[in-house]
This record gives sequence, structure tokens and C-alpha cells, in this order.
Amino acid sequence: MESLNLLLEGFSQALTPMNLLWVFIGAFLGTAVGVLPGLGSSMAVALLLPMTFSLDPVGAFIMFAGVYFGGLFGDSTMGILMNTPGGSTAIATTFEGHRMAKDGRAPQALATSAIGAFIGGLIATTLVVFFAPKLAEIAVLFGPAEYFALAIFAFIATASVVSDSALKGLASLLLGLALAVVGIDGISGASRFTANVPQLFDGVSIIVITVGVLALGEVLHVASRIHRDQKLTAISVAGRPYLSRSEVREAIPAWLRGTAFGVPFGVIPVGGAEVPTFLAYGTERQLDRKRRFPKFGTGAIRGVAAPEAAGNATSGTAMGALLALGLPTSATAAIMLAAFQQYGLQPGPMLFERNADLVWALLASLFVGLVMLLVLNLPFAPLWAKLLLIPKPHLFAGITVFCGLGVYATGASVVDLLLVLAIGFIAFLMRRYGYPLAPVMIGVVLGPLAETSLRNALMSSGGELSILLGSGITITLYALLALMLGYTLWRRIASRRRQDV
Amino acid sequence: MSTETPLGVQPKTAPGAGRSGLVLPGILVLLGIYLGVGIITMEVPEGAKHPGPAFFPILITVAIFVLAALLALQLVRTPEPVPADPQGYRSYSDWKTVALVAAGFLAFALLLVPAGWLISATLLFWTVAFALGSKNRARDLGIAVVFASVIQLAFGAALGLNLPSGILEGLIG
Repeated sequence: MESLNLLLEGFSQALTPMNLLWVFIGAFLGTAVGVLPGLGSSMAVALLLPMTFSLDPVGAFIMFAGVYFGGLFGDSTMGILMNTPGGSTAIATTFEGHRMAKDGRAPQALATSAIGAFIGGLIATTLVVFFAPKLAEIAVLFGPAEYFALAIFAFIATASVVSDSALKGLASLLLGLALAVVGIDGISGASRFTANVPQLFDGVSIIVITVGVLALGEVLHVASRIHRDQKLTAISVAGRPYLSRSEVREAIPAWLRGTAFGVPFGVIPVGGAEVPTFLAYGTERQLDRKRRFPKFGTGAIRGVAAPEAAGNATSGTAMGALLALGLPTSATAAIMLAAFQQYGLQPGPMLFERNADLVWALLASLFVGLVMLLVLNLPFAPLWAKLLLIPKPHLFAGITVFCGLGVYATGASVVDLLLVLAIGFIAFLMRRYGYPLAPVMIGVVLGPLAETSLRNALMSSGGELSILLGSGITITLYALLALMLGYTLWRRIASRRRQDV
Repeated sequence: MSTETPLGVQPKTAPGAGRSGLVLPGILVLLGIYLGVGIITMEVPEGAKHPGPAFFPILITVAIFVLAALLALQLVRTPEPVPADPQGYRSYSDWKTVALVAAGFLAFALLLVPAGWLISATLLFWTVAFALGSKNRARDLGIAVVFASVIQLAFGAALGLNLPSGILEGLIG
């Protein structure tokens, strides 16, 4: 029960009035950014990072805890009301959620998603509290070869399994990897691809890439279609979101199943919560088909409950993987990693010993943040929906200004602003031609880890490639990857054959 | 027409129809060339252990060229279906609006230090709002000024973030 005592200490730190205020501000702003169209959780963290620069580390991370979950609570609101999910993790929720809203059950859909996000986050964070220290002990067993296997697993899984076209997915991944190798090489000190621009010696900042790929690219994408597409209208929300007892009974199994899907994916790096949300959605749909009165297609409450719980559960355990292994499994986690490094902290097994007070305060604030978010989102969901009334030109003008602010505030460099524009433009073209964006982020995030672990492994073995397959852990990881690829291939061929018939 | 057309985008009836996606393999090739030149000209410090700093980039560069070739081949053999466009525009994307937004951001980046946050951010907000179809230009200017000022106050004064004040130095905090 050592964890419990430490957690209580964390709570005593998190529950001071000042820190409660930071969680509240974080949760509030995170939800606001999440609700805005096209911007999800990772954007919330990237755009709000500069705000925390003047805080002390504990205050900053406590605020982050709010932003982190806040973005996730917010992004399904958009999807349910307008059929335009705020982030990729909200796509699965949107299918049934929007149908519920069209059916006049928007408040119920919003309530189901908010409670689902709360349950998923709560269970996952609890697991992190008890198992993160254990995970940190296991992490000591991981050498360079094992970390390399983990990175390869993440690369191939996101590029081929998650995206429709394996070629396009791999191309996106390589763009990310190419961005990650810019800067001074950490091992040899050689300057790489910097064109002697001093601002590039530290590499391209993760914030520049996230803002460019996810926010500015989205703004340009909207610009390319705004005068041509039909205007979308939001379904207005009347009445307070509540669930009747029978609706709760209907949703509970789905919330729990969704959480079960989400939890393991926080530790497995496959590009965030996209995979588990779709798995949870697919499972619910198949279970639904076997029922006497199938509800999917007409606004099934379970179709909203499961993916939402899965998404937040993934984010909860992703925080555990980041703290205990130093392994960022999503773009959001990668930005958090950058934030840690800004304060001179290195997440990983040692963090629990060296900065125990900070870790436990952060974990405690995740709980506080979740409760606050439930309060902010459940009764006030109709108010958040009012954000959608802001005219699109002004909304996106504001987002563009915030992109500029976020990027300039992190490095105070004009070169970064030019870079973010270039990256945003390429991201826009990728969106236009159906290239997935998640692999770019995974390439950027895990690229450095893949490179250093590969080189360290080869250095220690004197160039012997066999070291990469030298342990049970690596062999298991590669075998798992092969299985996954085989399954994907089989499923694609099967679905193609079905089309032919 | 002042519409900006990217490399490879051609009118629908031309044989290039549905192949404007070649622009991405093109970008990959350019990136590969940049990386290739960087690898050749890289100054590896003496005594650097093997595998050195060029090892990983070489793997990436080779993969980039292979993928660019595969993507281009796929596109040449089976062009992507051109989305039906009842409004009869020449290209799927509205390049004029995209160019306006991008130009607005470029101006912001270049003006930020000499002109200061207040002026450049106001200009950026106004340009994007205008490009995306806001009609009331005078009101937009007002909103833009207020928005930029609030950010300057909230981030500059309250959170201590250093935003350049430019030519308004001394007038504002």
C-alpha cells in the first residue's frame, strides 16, 4: 500500500487552492480547445504549453493534467453535434453519437460520452497509480535492442494497420522520421541537415511539428474547401444532459468493455487512442447484431459509451507509460515529454525515485482533473456547444493567431514560424491526397528513440545485427507484429473478396 | 486567372487528370535529395563510433526514394478518381483562399519582430477572417485588434511571456 500513501501525499499537494485553480484553468481551456472543430487533445496541449512556462514545474504539470483530459472530453462534443469529430479519437464516437443527436437525444449522447470519458480515465489512472512503479521496475530490463523493437512495432503498426493505404502510411512515417533526424546528433555531436542555421541545431521542435501538422494544416484544409462545401449546421441542445436509469444500465457494460480495450493500448505504441476506440466500437456493433433488437444505426447508446471510455482509458495508461518507461505512445504524450525536458526532468524509471513528489502530485491532479471535467462537461455541455456559434472565419482566424503565438512563445524564433508554415502546407497536401497524419507524429516522437537505441545496440555488439533479436522480449515483439500484419492482410483480402462477390 | 496552381495539377480533361497526387511523391523526392546532400556533406567528428551519425539518415533516405517511386508508379497506373464537382471549378481545392491564408501567415512571421505582436497579429487575424469569407471588414478589424491586445495582455503582462512590441515599443508594456 505504499502507492496509496504516496498518492495521498500527492493529493495534499494537488489540493491547495492555487493548484486547484491551475487544474481548473487547464480543464477549462482543454475542453474549450477540444470542442473547437479540428482540434483535439494533442492540439490543446501544444497550444497551451506556452502558458505554463512561467509556472513552477508542479503547477505546470498540474495544469497539464487538466488540459490533457480536457481535450479528450471536448472533442466528442463536436462530433456528436455537427458530425465533424474534433480529433481522430472521436471518429468512432461520432457514428452513433450524431445519430442520437439527430434523433433528438443530443443531451443523452453528450452525457454518455462525458461519463464514459470519466469512467475510462478513472479506471486507467487508478491502474497507473498501482502499476506504474512496477512498470518502472520492468523497464530496467529493457535495453537498446528492446526499445528498438518497441519503436519498430509502433512504426509498422501505425503506418500499415491504422491507415488505409500501407504505402501512404509509410510515406507519412518517413516524413516524420526525416524531421526527427534534423539537428545535432546526440551521440557523435555531428550537425545534421541544419544547413548551418543555428536555430535548427536543437532540431525541429515537437511543438512546431504538432502545430503545423495538426492545426495550421487543418486551417489551410478548411480554407481550401470553405467556399465550396455546404455549410454544416450544429444540432442545438435543449435541456440538461441526464441519463435515465435504464439508459445507465444499457451503457454500463459498454463503458467497462471500452475501458478494457483502452487500457492496454496506452502502453502499446500504435499512435494513440485511434485503434482502441475503433476496436471498442466494432465489438459493440458485433455484440449488438446478436441482440434481439439491434440498435446500431439508429443511435445506439453503447456505440457512444464504449469508444469514449476506450479513448480516455488509453490516455490514462499512456501517462503511465510516459512516466514509468519514458515512452511517449501518442502525440500528446510526446508534447508532455517535451514539457518534462523543458524543466530538466527525464521521464523513465528514475523519475519515480528522483522526483517522486512531482510524479505523485501529477497523478493526484489527474484524478482531480477528471472530477472537475465531469462537473464542467455534464451540466454545462449545452454551454460548450455555444462555442460552435462563433462564425467560422473568426474561429479559424483566432486559431491561426494562436498557432503563431504557440510557436513563437516556445522558441522566440522567426525560423520556427517559417518552418511551421512549410510543415502546415505539406500537411494540408497530405490531407488533400488522403495521407494519414498519425504516422508523421509517431515518426517524430519515436524517431530519436529508434535511432539511439539502434545505434547503441549495434555499438555494443560491434556491428552484429543478431543482437536485435537477442532476447525473449524482442522476439515476442517482432512475432506479435508479424501476427498483426498477417491479420490485417488477411482481413483486407477477405473484404476485397467479399466485394467481388 | 490569378489562381495558384501547384505543380502537376491540370484541367480535368487532360491526360493528367486524377494524377495531381504526384505532387507528394515529388515532395518526397525533394526531401530525399536534401537528406542525400546533407549526408554527403556531413562533417563527422573524428573518433565517432560506428554506426555513426549518417547511418540512420541513410536508411531513411533510401526508404524515401523507394516509396516515392512506388507511390508515383501506383498513381500513374491507376489515377485517383476526380471528385465530381457540380460547381465547375478547375481544381478541387480553392487555391486562392489557401494562398491568401498562407500569405497572411508568412507576413505575420516576417513582420512580427520589426512591427511587433499587436500589429502583425491583428493583420493575421484580419487576413484569415477575410479569406474565409467574413464580409464586415471594419468590424473584423475591431475584433482583430481586441483579440491581439487581449493576448498581449494575458500572455505578456500576466504570464510574463516575451512578445515583441516592435515599433510600438514604449507605448505598450
